[in-house]
Amino acid sequence: MTEQVHPTVERQTMDADIVCVGFGPATGGFLTTLSRELVCEDGTAKLESSVAPGLPPQVICYERADDIGFGVSGVVTPGNGIRKSFPDLDLAQIPLAVPVKHEVVLYLLDPLGASRRSALLRCADKAIRALKGILPFEREAFKLPYIPPFLRKDGGLLLSISQFNQWVGTQLLGSGAVQIWPGTPVAQPLFDDNSVIGVRLLDQGTDKQGRPEAGFMPGMDIRAALTVVGDGPVGNVGREIDFHFGMPEGRHKRDWAVGMKMVVNLPEGCPLEPGTVLHTFGYPEPEIFGFLYVYPDNVASLGIFVPSWFDSPVRTSYRYLQHWMMHPYLWQYLEGATLRSWGAKTLEESGKRGEPHLVGNGYARIGEGSGSTNMLTNSGVDEAWITGVQLAEAVVELLKEKKPFTQENLEATYVRRRRSSDLDKQSCIAEKSRDGFGSGLVPGMLGMAATGFTGGMLNIGSEPKQPYKRLPTLADYYKGRIPAEELEQIVRDCTARGVSAHSTLMDRCGWPQIPYDGKLLMSQQDALLLGGKVQAPGGYADHVCFLYPNLCQSCGTKICIEVCSGQAITPGVDGVPQFDREKCIHCGACLWNCATPHPDNPERTVLDFRAGTGGLHSADN
Amino acid sequence: MSTPYQIVVCGSIVPDPLQTLEPIATPNGPALKNEMMLPAVLDPWAKHALYEAANLASKQPGSKVYLVSLGPKAKLQQVMMTMAQKVPFELVAIDGSSSGFTEASEVAAALAAAIKAIPGVDLTRLLLFGGWESASRGAGSTLQMVGEQLGIINQFQGVDKLTCNADGTLEVLERIEGGKHQVSKCSCPPAVLGWATGMLPEPPNNPQIGMVNMRSIMPALQKAQPAAVGAQGLSFASVSLPKQQRTTKVIKDMPADEIASEIVAWVSQD
Amino acid sequence: MDTILVLLHTEADGTLAKPALEALGAAAELGGTLVVGLIGKDVQPAADSIASCGAAKYYGVSGDEFAQARYSSDAAAAEAICKEANPTVVIVPATSRWNRVLSGVAHRLGGRVDTHVTGVSRTEGALSAARWYYRQRMEAVVQRTHRPWCIALEAGCHEACAAGAGKATVENVNVILSEAARQTTVTGIKTVAADQQTIRPDAKLLFVTGAGWTKKQPDGKAHVEEAAKIILEFLQHSQASLGGTKSLVDLGGEGQTVLPFMTHLNQIGQTGSTPRHPKGLSTCCHGEEPHVIGWRFVNERRAINLDPNCPWAHGKADVLYVADALQVMSKVNELLAAKK
Ligand SMILES: Cc1cc2nc3c(=O)[nH]c(=O)nc-3n(C[C@H](O)[C@H](O)[C@H](O)COP(=O)(O)OP(=O)(O)OC[C@H]3O[C@@H](n4cnc5c(N)ncnc54)[C@H](O)[C@@H]3O)c2cc1C
Ligand SMILES: Cc1cc2nc3c(=O)[nH]c(=O)nc-3n(C[C@H](O)[C@H](O)[C@H](O)COP(=O)(O)OP(=O)(O)OC[C@H]3O[C@@H](n4cnc5c(N)ncnc54)[C@H](O)[C@@H]3O)c2cc1C
Ligand code: SF4
Ligand code: SF4
Repeated sequence: MTEQVHPTVERQTMDADIVCVGFGPATGGFLTTLSRELVCEDGTAKLESSVAPGLPPQVICYERADDIGFGVSGVVTPGNGIRKSFPDLDLAQIPLAVPVKHEVVLYLLDPLGASRRSALLRCADKAIRALKGILPFEREAFKLPYIPPFLRKDGGLLLSISQFNQWVGTQLLGSGAVQIWPGTPVAQPLFDDNSVIGVRLLDQGTDKQGRPEAGFMPGMDIRAALTVVGDGPVGNVGREIDFHFGMPEGRHKRDWAVGMKMVVNLPEGCPLEPGTVLHTFGYPEPEIFGFLYVYPDNVASLGIFVPSWFDSPVRTSYRYLQHWMMHPYLWQYLEGATLRSWGAKTLEESGKRGEPHLVGNGYARIGEGSGSTNMLTNSGVDEAWITGVQLAEAVVELLKEKKPFTQENLEATYVRRRRSSDLDKQSCIAEKSRDGFGSGLVPGMLGMAATGFTGGMLNIGSEPKQPYKRLPTLADYYKGRIPAEELEQIVRDCTARGVSAHSTLMDRCGWPQIPYDGKLLMSQQDALLLGGKVQAPGGYADHVCFLYPNLCQSCGTKICIEVCSGQAITPGVDGVPQFDREKCIHCGACLWNCATPHPDNPERTVLDFRAGTGGLHSADN
Repeated sequence: MSTPYQIVVCGSIVPDPLQTLEPIATPNGPALKNEMMLPAVLDPWAKHALYEAANLASKQPGSKVYLVSLGPKAKLQQVMMTMAQKVPFELVAIDGSSSGFTEASEVAAALAAAIKAIPGVDLTRLLLFGGWESASRGAGSTLQMVGEQLGIINQFQGVDKLTCNADGTLEVLERIEGGKHQVSKCSCPPAVLGWATGMLPEPPNNPQIGMVNMRSIMPALQKAQPAAVGAQGLSFASVSLPKQQRTTKVIKDMPADEIASEIVAWVSQD
Repeated sequence: MDTILVLLHTEADGTLAKPALEALGAAAELGGTLVVGLIGKDVQPAADSIASCGAAKYYGVSGDEFAQARYSSDAAAAEAICKEANPTVVIVPATSRWNRVLSGVAHRLGGRVDTHVTGVSRTEGALSAARWYYRQRMEAVVQRTHRPWCIALEAGCHEACAAGAGKATVENVNVILSEAARQTTVTGIKTVAADQQTIRPDAKLLFVTGAGWTKKQPDGKAHVEEAAKIILEFLQHSQASLGGTKSLVDLGGEGQTVLPFMTHLNQIGQTGSTPRHPKGLSTCCHGEEPHVIGWRFVNERRAINLDPNCPWAHGKADVLYVADALQVMSKVNELLAAKK
């Protein structure tokens, strides 16, 4: 998949004991646990390296982003695993960290009448409005009187993933036991028969097609006895391993969402207290969920999730995020706020059902890409952390016993730990909790409740389909709302102007224009620059590739353009979309938002999302 | 010249220039809001100086490049994660404030002391590099003062090119007014060179260089001596963001011809 | 009472340039005793040209050695004059020549220095200086207790001193340069050929070009050659100074087809320059903060951009024309050509 252009080029190699791909909470948990077992107090080796005799094991972690603190997440988390790793955790050491104080779940009604609501939902809305005198109803929002226990985060933490990762990284580097290198994408795993023997880094000094230019430096091969894959929901290394070894029977990754968020300075005098957790559903479309978490110093993290089961061929996030913020209930707090940072990222929502082979000869999978995210509780950070801890404990055990990292040994240590843990139990329960959403919001909510209250005994819905199988055509989606001819005209116009069509289509369906104020409400490009501070160093190949241009030409919806979180994919000449790396925030949404299956593999599409540098430069998200 | 070079690069860290910066008042004088949260980078012009130093050193076996950096230890450590894979150097870290509001002469004293303490450093043949101005204080003062304290009076600022000739002479191109360069010849080191952009592209990340660098960087950070740099005798009557907000007239749908005549009229009027 | 020493260097032709007269003008307004120090090949004509500026005394260091802008000799000369004049405040124009040495001189004198100062004033007897931090992001007004306080005043920040000519008595300060101070010699000035000179600090207009000039246009193609032609033609007609965004000048480094006449010297912004011009016209440039910082000292600002929501629209420009700059600028060229 990520075959680089020069298979024959001479590459340097470097040997390490353990190489890790990606620095998220999973790898954070792994390295934190491992680093404590490598060196004695006096600096001598507790365990010995096999590549540098006399020294402790050489552990290297490569992160794609330009800094280890440029991640994107919520985050509200129970934080049990994290707390266990840091029993004396002093939240004051981590900027933007605060304990959870107060939780609210809101059903947002549509004050504009522009959203697509089912008849069932419209009835419910009517009933709520009729009873608003006696219900907890305020500014078009219905406050759920009761939050089911499986959704509550009592005693949990609010974090900024960027600041948390940064803090963890600082501790790790300070220990001197491991090395972490940001700005260094891993191009692919290295296979040898049925083993993974290390990774290859990305070629540098190439043009956008990957052809060598001045300063060409072929990506180095890093050979290691163990490759730890913690590359998150859309990581290319994990995916390539899945393609190589296949997924276990009955497992697949078909449920996704893109989360787009902002961190804002709340207006002065905003009454929201630090530690407040607010979750919403119902608006701007019934399928879109929202969150708002309040940090200390009048700062909030907020955003929406646009899931793959929102069957719209123009499912944008940015415009919806703005309408969501302007919902009267939220706007009472957000009016006058200013943008500090912005970002988006994909969530792998298959959970347990998306669990790949956790280990093989020479490699192990941790974190979201290993199916750790719990879809019932909507929690991924602590779960990812715990998988990392479990792997580290297993690795220490094997290193101590001087056993090789074979599939068998890793099964007996890491997989065994994971299977017997509460984490696995919970994700088994959660496995089918979201299946109901395949049929809409109401069945979905009922399904979650059923799963949650019965401990996974009762689930609603059926096995999810590949996202591309669910996608309606534009004509079908807008049937009854925009006449076919007009629809075609709009799409033609937008294509001619080189822009996506969703905004024009939303205008046409009654969504009001966003009144830009340059502070919180601004054009998407400005959010990208002011909030995301997006950068793309030159000298690397494009990481978003259209594998079969001819199939793109005949693609009707071109949903990749509509969904792109950075407006980096735009209509191109000859009907093949064009990609502008300088605007890409590596959210990974295009990976699962392509309307055409790959000719060789129904679990893939014809858009390839590879390893790339650059992206967000925001340290608040 | 067959003697290896000794190059010391002074370069501190600054907030990533893309970030929004806002001044706040603290009991110790002005500071940046959320200063410790802002991602940091190596000062851009000092970074160019480091690349130029490494390039020069690579041409003469046995040459050494030191990066002397004064900043909060934790932040220095972060920045080293991105710098260490670029070019080979040895870090000399000093733990102290990298704020732009500190006084250049205090910073210079700390840097000069650290340079003098580098084991084996020979001040008589030193090439002292740095950025010609920082992206924090933006004054172009520090390097001159370090040079003075080390007794170096061949000094150049806004350097875009250094040629080291076989006879040991240096030829230097400095930026001057009007997009021109002043050309100077210097018979021998020591010399101070405050770099502007220079001529080199950003080097690729080299994992092997990173591994080697890190072996000395981590101990250097652990050894970093604290330096109390402040701003004695300097008081700030005010620090404020400029009111840059203008009322913008946005003109849409005007034919190109009309815009053109408006622009011509505007450009021509005095 | 303060003794304010204004240090000036002569130009190659022996005159004083405008920034020198501005520094003198600013110093003259501060009260105290005004003293002038001059450095150059021959300083008498320069001293005479400002004979009525009110200076109590003129010191001069002159000779061939002091014609060139060289750290060692300039620092020695400045130091010697300061030792004679014993000033509490030293003001110089922020030319490249003074910027190179002033901080070193301040160090020798045991004083303190502020460079890139945009204003000096006296409030209730106390002297303050305005200067910028974080590369033009925030402005501070500072005061200092250390003396001498050396200040480099930016060009264009004060009215030039209108002193008339006359006969000034210059006290020559003898400076003997050590062997080491002669190790450096200035051998020349490198300029691009006059017809390729695109940076014109005295131009009324700053013409800024962004990466958009080289990007794919709505017809799906890039028109780089045409862009180059339009830009050069406009520069020729308007005699504007040419600036560029980082994205545009960086392109050159990556071996792409770009505008051959642009270099890093043209870059405006945080890691480029912050020139002073009465007017600025931005074309095909997005207007991101690190770039617009370089516009700090451009008074009237207009922009042409296809994107009605680019940051120029939000309080960064006075006028934003939402239009195709390639089209507009070729029209502008036609009009300017017709005018001639
Ligand atoms: C908007 C949003 C809100 C969320 N809210 C919450 C919440 O409130 N609570 C909660 O618990 N969870 C939340 N999550 C989910 C949570 O963020 C993830 O589950 C968690 O971050 C997964 O951790 P990880 O370590 O597995 O992967 P990640 O955090 O994704 O880290 C993987 C890392 O690998 C890097 N990488 C990928 N490919 C390569 C490569 N080829 N080479 C080098 N590096 C590579 C990536 O850049 C990334 O830094 C949210 C997610 C989003 C997007
Ligand atoms: C450390 C650091 C320092 C930096 N320092 C600087 C600096 O000193 N100076 C600087 O400039 N930048 C600097 N930047 C970069 C800055 O953040 C921006 O990336 C850069 O200024 C963008 O350049 P641009 O506007 O030319 O390009 P783009 O962002 O690509 O914008 C091109 C613009 O052209 C417009 N356009 C395209 N075609 C047309 C047409 N036909 N007619 C009209 N408009 C058209 C588009 O709408 C778009 O707005 C720095 C960045 C970093 C990280
Ligand atoms: S990448 Fe996929 S969605 Fe985009 S145009 Fe091609 S086939 Fe269509
Ligand atoms: S191109 Fe980049 S920004 Fe756009 S959807 Fe894909 S990953 Fe996200």
